[in-house]
Amino acid sequence: MIRISRPAGALLSLGLAAAALAGCSEAATSGGSSDAGACDPADVQLVGQVRNESNPYEASWLDGGDAFAESVDLEQQRLTYDGDSTKQQEQIRQLLAGDTECLVMNVLPNGDADTTPIVEGAEQAGAYLVTQWNKPAELSPLDYDYWISHITYDGVDSGQQIGDALAEAIGGSGGIIALQGVLDTAAAKDRFAGLEASLEANPDMKLLDDQTANFSRDEALAVTKTLLAKHGNDIKGIWAANDDMALGALQALEQAGRAGDVAVVGIDAVPDALTAIENGEMTATVSSDGPWQGGVGLAIGYCVATGELEMEDIADEDRAFYAEQFLINDENVADFATPETDSADFECDNVFNRAVGPLS
Amino acid sequence: MTSPAEDVDVAAARPQPRRGVSLRDAGPPIALVVVFLVFAALSSQFRSIENIQNILDAAAVLGVVTCGITFVLMMGSIDLSSPGVMGASALAVALLVQNNRNDNDFGLLGVALAVALGAALGALSGSALVLLKVPSFMTTLGVSAIGLGIATLMFSGVQPNISDEMLGSWATERLIGLSYLTWIAIGCILLGWLIQRYTRLGRYAFAIGGAEEVLSLSGVKVAPYKVAVFTLAGAFYGLGGVMVTSQLGAGLVQAGDGYDFSAITAAVVGGTLLIGGRGGVLHSAVGVLLIVVLTNGLVQIGVSPYWQGGVQGFIVVAAVAAAVIPQRRRNQVVK
Repeated sequence: MIRISRPAGALLSLGLAAAALAGCSEAATSGGSSDAGACDPADVQLVGQVRNESNPYEASWLDGGDAFAESVDLEQQRLTYDGDSTKQQEQIRQLLAGDTECLVMNVLPNGDADTTPIVEGAEQAGAYLVTQWNKPAELSPLDYDYWISHITYDGVDSGQQIGDALAEAIGGSGGIIALQGVLDTAAAKDRFAGLEASLEANPDMKLLDDQTANFSRDEALAVTKTLLAKHGNDIKGIWAANDDMALGALQALEQAGRAGDVAVVGIDAVPDALTAIENGEMTATVSSDGPWQGGVGLAIGYCVATGELEMEDIADEDRAFYAEQFLINDENVADFATPETDSADFECDNVFNRAVGPLS
Repeated sequence: MTSPAEDVDVAAARPQPRRGVSLRDAGPPIALVVVFLVFAALSSQFRSIENIQNILDAAAVLGVVTCGITFVLMMGSIDLSSPGVMGASALAVALLVQNNRNDNDFGLLGVALAVALGAALGALSGSALVLLKVPSFMTTLGVSAIGLGIATLMFSGVQPNISDEMLGSWATERLIGLSYLTWIAIGCILLGWLIQRYTRLGRYAFAIGGAEEVLSLSGVKVAPYKVAVFTLAGAFYGLGGVMVTSQLGAGLVQAGDGYDFSAITAAVVGGTLLIGGRGGVLHSAVGVLLIVVLTNGLVQIGVSPYWQGGVQGFIVVAAVAAAVIPQRRRNQVVK
């Protein structure tokens, strides 16, 4: 093991950071005016927390976090809580009970209500926090000093994008069925509202039936088979609120001997859906870019913790924003087939580049 | 040295011998027929051949899982391990047959190994129950977590998709109108019924549920039978996991999500009591059909998805209440 004295190590890592993040040198030298930004880059602890690694999207999120951590010579602590709110809070409490001075957390709260205690805990302990997807509407990062940002995606927009893609695939007219997510989640509601907006824009498209399959591949298989028996050949397209259900629907079509003559769209861009699009079995999906989410949350926290970004310099609309999402179809699927991060996205000047608008 | 009064009590409590099909068992099948006829009257698509095939196909996995859980329930224990066991066996079989993750191509042997993994996890539940005296509720919950852990390890970030023709054909190929999966389920139910009816294991499972103390006082070593019942149940869950994999074309950690409670619900709706000693595989099969017909029928007649969960729950509670009416006079404590 090579021993480097602390000041030398600090200089070395500062030098590395400066080289890598040349555009941020101004911010780096002006650090120290407030308590924020006092951290030595080598002392920053990076934590990524998602539900579970058995979900390809969330696993790719943590991989993106690792990629960022590697780019600044740190390691990300990978935490998973199995979709269990109590376990998530417990993990957060343990983290905050330790050394929190240069702690950066990129957290996927289990549900809206879980965000509040995480935010309060981080604020008290002085740990830098970025949350994604879920937060209660009235809770705003603007009221906090350590909750830097909340990133989410406009479900209405993604639901509409795939709705339009579906309309195009079936030639603008014909019957479709919709597979909704867990009905009491914001994601399911927004995405379905997007489909309804798309149906208004394509008046010849007819929604024959909408059912919930609870975001599950298994349930989508059964529901789709039932609906295929109910509506038969009237079904020209299937709109699913996530890719897992779209894949279940594909399986149902195959078992009913109708693979290929019904267009299927989903959301999330899980690897199997991308393969299905490559093979021409599926029409389109929407990607939020999991690896980017995993990386950028840590990058934002890292930039503020090391002083390269000042809290007061972050625009209010970047404190809670919708991030850009991408429609994937057979034309551009190859670009998304191997999820990668671009280190340029994680430079302190660029971390808010994908913001498409403040949370309404 | 018993007093005459006690003698009278004992005589009164002795159950009447069963003659033919008792009224007690008739509730669930009648409910099934009624529910079926109501849906058939309301929707012409519901009574189409295609949809009836659908119902039977959709019942296949739940039927196999419920078959397993029935033996545990008959014993008066409970089993919540199916999500974990099914997840583990789903991943195992997906990685053992032809798939996109490795070069394995074990075919039926892979299926057998996955079922054996399920049986091993079941044996673990049973052993923890009898050796460590942990209540079955807790041991099986723990084993479920172990199974999910094994599944997550095998998953390691990349979902295995199966390309094995044999396993894929289970869900797509049909024999006399029914998919292979449905025939497998029918075979399992038949096997389960034979075990229940004609083997010592099945009869002791009943007896353990009815009066475990009496059984052990008469010199029967109960523990090995308990372990065997959990092992048998685990094997059924393992097969269930294999069947889900065949249907979905991929090994999912979540393959068994929700099957624990839907299987218990189906068994109870069919007339298998949670306190043990009553019911059986055929009862449970009726319960499975009732649940699946309900799920399918509510979609077919066009009940809004926002209402379905509630309506389904209401009908299930009503069906169970109707099924236990004949038992109410037994003055059991309900808890």
